[in-house]
Amino acid sequence: MQWTIKRIGAIALTGAVTVALGACGSSSKSDDNGGGSATSGGKSGGTATVLMGTAPDYLDPQRAYTTQGAEAHWISYLGLYTYAHKNGVEGGKVIPALAEDFPKVTNGGKTYTMTLRKGLKYSDGTAVKASDFPFTIERAIKAPWGGKSFFTGYIKGAQAFDSGKAKSISGIKADDATGEITIDLVKPYGAFLNVIAFPSAGFVPTGTKMGNLSNNPPPGVGPYILKDVVPNRSFKVVRNPDWTDQTVPGVPKGKMDISVKIASNTQTEAEQVLNNAADVFDWGDQLPPSLASQVTAKAGDRFAKQNTVSTYYFFLNTQTKPFNNLKARQAVNYAVDRRAIARLNGGNFKPTCWFLPEGLIGHPMGECPYGDPNAAPDMAKARQLLKESGLAGSTVTVWGQNRSPRKEFTNYYTDVLNQMGFKAKTKIIADAQYFPTIGNLKLQPQTGFADWNQDFPNPSDFYLLMDKNTTQATNNQNFSQVNDPHIQSELAELNAVPADKLDTVADRWQKLDEYLAQKAYIVSYGQQQNPKFFSDKLNFDAAVFHPLYGNDWSTLEPK
Amino acid sequence: MGRFVVKRLLSVVLVLFAISIMTFLIFQAIPSGDPALRMAGRLATPQQVQDVRQQWGFDKPIYVQYAKTMQKIATGSVESYTQQLNVLDEIKRGLPATISLSVGAGVIWLSLGVLFGLLSAMSAGKFLDRALTVLSLVGVSTPVFFLGALMLYYLAYKLALFPLGGYVKFTDSPWGWFTHLLMPWFALSVLFIGVYSRVLRSTVLDTMNEDFVRAARAKGISERRVMLRHVLRNSMIPVISLFGLDFAAVVGGGAILTESVFGLHGVGQYAAESIGRLDVPPVLVITMLGASAVVVLSAVLDVVFAILDPRIRL
Amino acid sequence: MATTDTGTEVPSAISAARPDDDAPPGIGPYALAWRRLKRNRAALFFGGVFALIVVLCLLAPFYAKHVAHTGPNANHLTDQVRVGGKLKDVVTPGGIPIGPTWHGRFLLGADGNGRDVAVRLLYGGRNSLEIGVVATLITMLLATMIGLAAGFFRGLTDAILSRVLDLIWSFPVVILGVALGVALAVGGLNLGLFELKGNSLGVPAVIIGVVYIPYVAKPIRGQVLGLREREFVDAARVQGLGNVRIMIGEVLPNLASTIIVFIPLIIANAILLEAGLSYLGAGVQDPNPSWGTMISDGIRLIPSAIHLTFVPGFMLLFTVLGINVFGDGVRDALDPRAKVRIER
Repeated sequence: MQWTIKRIGAIALTGAVTVALGACGSSSKSDDNGGGSATSGGKSGGTATVLMGTAPDYLDPQRAYTTQGAEAHWISYLGLYTYAHKNGVEGGKVIPALAEDFPKVTNGGKTYTMTLRKGLKYSDGTAVKASDFPFTIERAIKAPWGGKSFFTGYIKGAQAFDSGKAKSISGIKADDATGEITIDLVKPYGAFLNVIAFPSAGFVPTGTKMGNLSNNPPPGVGPYILKDVVPNRSFKVVRNPDWTDQTVPGVPKGKMDISVKIASNTQTEAEQVLNNAADVFDWGDQLPPSLASQVTAKAGDRFAKQNTVSTYYFFLNTQTKPFNNLKARQAVNYAVDRRAIARLNGGNFKPTCWFLPEGLIGHPMGECPYGDPNAAPDMAKARQLLKESGLAGSTVTVWGQNRSPRKEFTNYYTDVLNQMGFKAKTKIIADAQYFPTIGNLKLQPQTGFADWNQDFPNPSDFYLLMDKNTTQATNNQNFSQVNDPHIQSELAELNAVPADKLDTVADRWQKLDEYLAQKAYIVSYGQQQNPKFFSDKLNFDAAVFHPLYGNDWSTLEPK
Repeated sequence: MGRFVVKRLLSVVLVLFAISIMTFLIFQAIPSGDPALRMAGRLATPQQVQDVRQQWGFDKPIYVQYAKTMQKIATGSVESYTQQLNVLDEIKRGLPATISLSVGAGVIWLSLGVLFGLLSAMSAGKFLDRALTVLSLVGVSTPVFFLGALMLYYLAYKLALFPLGGYVKFTDSPWGWFTHLLMPWFALSVLFIGVYSRVLRSTVLDTMNEDFVRAARAKGISERRVMLRHVLRNSMIPVISLFGLDFAAVVGGGAILTESVFGLHGVGQYAAESIGRLDVPPVLVITMLGASAVVVLSAVLDVVFAILDPRIRL
Repeated sequence: MATTDTGTEVPSAISAARPDDDAPPGIGPYALAWRRLKRNRAALFFGGVFALIVVLCLLAPFYAKHVAHTGPNANHLTDQVRVGGKLKDVVTPGGIPIGPTWHGRFLLGADGNGRDVAVRLLYGGRNSLEIGVVATLITMLLATMIGLAAGFFRGLTDAILSRVLDLIWSFPVVILGVALGVALAVGGLNLGLFELKGNSLGVPAVIIGVVYIPYVAKPIRGQVLGLREREFVDAARVQGLGNVRIMIGEVLPNLASTIIVFIPLIIANAILLEAGLSYLGAGVQDPNPSWGTMISDGIRLIPSAIHLTFVPGFMLLFTVLGINVFGDGVRDALDPRAKVRIER
């Protein structure tokens, strides 16, 4: 008997955006909810139902690498540092969590020293020790955590531990008696504080098993406890009864218990929140365009679009024809209509031409070199430039993944290339296969879909993609294979600037980004906007929308 | 007789073995990319990818991988690539939904199919027959994914007559279990009702001309009794064998579409999600289970019919 | 016999047509069947519907150039079109495409990318029909050969062939189709002898064609098993004809009515399966249109752009229904016992 299978991409994952760790949103200007910071006022009690269109890849804190997991982990597995529970740029600031205070940075930025806060306990009552920190990092490396290169690339001795040459990480020293922790780096890295603020660096007791504990997560420190996991179906994040607002200043105790259910498609997910049958529409999902008008009409007071710090772009391979030619690359930037792609995304893009998005330090303030992204493109100029380059008529294969709406972006882009004068064809491949495929240097993909969401609020995170040092033979992320001496020399200095001094180099980052746009190494077109969408049972304005973690569940409260 | 059974069993074993090899080859060997790359994550270095490869044994020759995988399946310790969940546990978790769907739909399609087929045959050539034939042809020509999506939107969302998909365990709430399954039962049955009514119609019409039916009528038995006791009973044989095979296939993951559209999280949906993630172990196991169910059941039916009718033992 | 996803069942054995009461004596069985078919108005009507759809699809390039003034892949995301005197967005800023305008441009509306639905429908129909027909050809050819060989030679040949048929037939077919489709989408198929590019229509056609072989081969085998015992086969052997000549010369013509009945059934099944596979992403690859991919793309935009699901969905329905009713009529014509009224 033959039955037709429903395509995954069509419904089950329609619009569900699984982003690499840390997709976040600085709230847009019109939606800044200043009053959403952690206070002890307001009501509390009850359970809020959160619907997610995509299940977290893992619920084991040292393995999770998508936003869905992070939403639960950042309030149930605190590490030495965490982020402020505030909206917008304020939420991007690092605050001490299990560490008593900010670290002392010495030795030219290569040594970090901090002291563990006293008297902290895990959710199972075990006392927190300083040596739990190196254990946690080792566990993350062994897991392996998808972002472990942040640890192995910077912490001294971590690489040796990873390859099995050492039994522990020599660069981390922890004294349980005094609570002092010292971390030595191989080279200065301004964003290192952000690195140890990752949820994967959230403490677990020494001796926790190394295997995948997603079904039965280990104890952690925080205002919430993760439990009752049914894989791919549901889990609960309940308030820790022993947590108070004073346990860690800046990390409030929660107001409601959270029950998370994995929805099978975003259509029913949105309908349930609209009908108040569920409370929160996960920020990582997209509202189906067909429901958008109903939502704004019926639920305008509990729905808002939030800018995320992300960039959606098409990469242009600078090492092969035709995009090794500057004029050809610039021509494409003139031809692409950013408004059109925004429409394909249900209107949930903020059109842009820059690589660094708005809300991130370094986002250029000047005019786009290729015309206003909110206005019609200049196809005539594009065609002319292409003719001048002598590459009109070149065959181009455009790569894309078969997840909607990315597939649609790619189809549109191919059409644009054809109208310009290329002979372009789309090659759509399976979602799960996409990034490994185009990350294989042997393939030399000419152009195709790519996106990046911030791991943390620091432009050096984005510029990983433009750094020739990160190019590798497989799993390459520098799809354009950018190898630009000016960029390299700038990055060498800018990457060392510590996170809290970022403001001082803001205009240097801006100039670098403007330089990138003029070299047209990519075709940037949009910044994702994500929904903050609740049922009418929750207090919409009181809930914080965090730039990194979306809906701050610890600030949800009933009306 | 004994030789026939032995021969049949032997062929079952051979076919199962062949299925396991074929499935494994298709999913593992055809160029669908390097699973180690996918599993290692987006920022993995080549060394990290190689570590994953060694950990999972992807660097070993294919027959070694095959043997290891079969061993893991036999001992029930197969793990999926993307989430390292035990596949058999996941399948067990999805079985209640799949079985509830299949059994309910099976009852509906068998009874309605037989009813419509019988009515059609009894009024052969007349308007009722034509109308039922057209209806069954429509049911059989409708793409099921189309039907499911429309039902969900119009009946569940707009008119709020039914819940918006999902599965409720019988032990949690019998009424909830029932209401959540009504639309999926109907969507899945529509296709089969069309088929079975036509099959029954044709077998009934064949049977009605048999001598024993004429004899029964000649004996003066009422038409109703003739239809029900003599004609229907004999016409049901091919239908029952067909039903057995179709039912086995549905339970073995064949109701993928219905499960996915309605979000029932059964075995079929698990297979669909795994294919989308290019996650081989679950698809491998489900395919083998489904195929095995059909092969074994068909062999059993063959033996049963051979017992009943010696002519079949070719 | 088992059910296929279109539900059209596979008949066990077709006996030769019995003469009608009012037919002139001496008329051959095929001429007789043709007469009966001509009198079956429903079958003729639906057959005509199918033929009309085929013709329309073949005229796709003409329609695109002269009526719609656009191609199947041209995006018109930021264009506007005049409807009823007013200028409307082809696709709104919120991503909702325009519905049917009932004029030359965007007759049946636009899709999410601003492409003309009617144009894509016709081009997609070409793809869907082409795959359906090619797949059916593959099936009928291979199934006849296998069924003939298995039924005629029996013994070991039959045993092996029957097990191969069992193998194909017991697979949860759609899973197989999808997995193969997904796997082959990137790299295509290279078997040394012949190569299919990943993007080509050949991949789904081959998959579908192979998948249906057992459904046809088994009944043919059953029929051949019976036929080989008949006198005309003995007579041919006595004449000294070799096996192959007997198979092709004597047995095969008797299979003709079975084969004829199967063809529309398999075409209908193949088209539906292709829609299902394409819907799943495992059949026709982007951006080639096919009714299946159009339906799956359209489901995302229910309900604000219902036409995207309805138009290809109903087109698919009517096409398959057309073939099914016509095929039904052909079968009735060849085997009229089904129309016998109850004798009193």
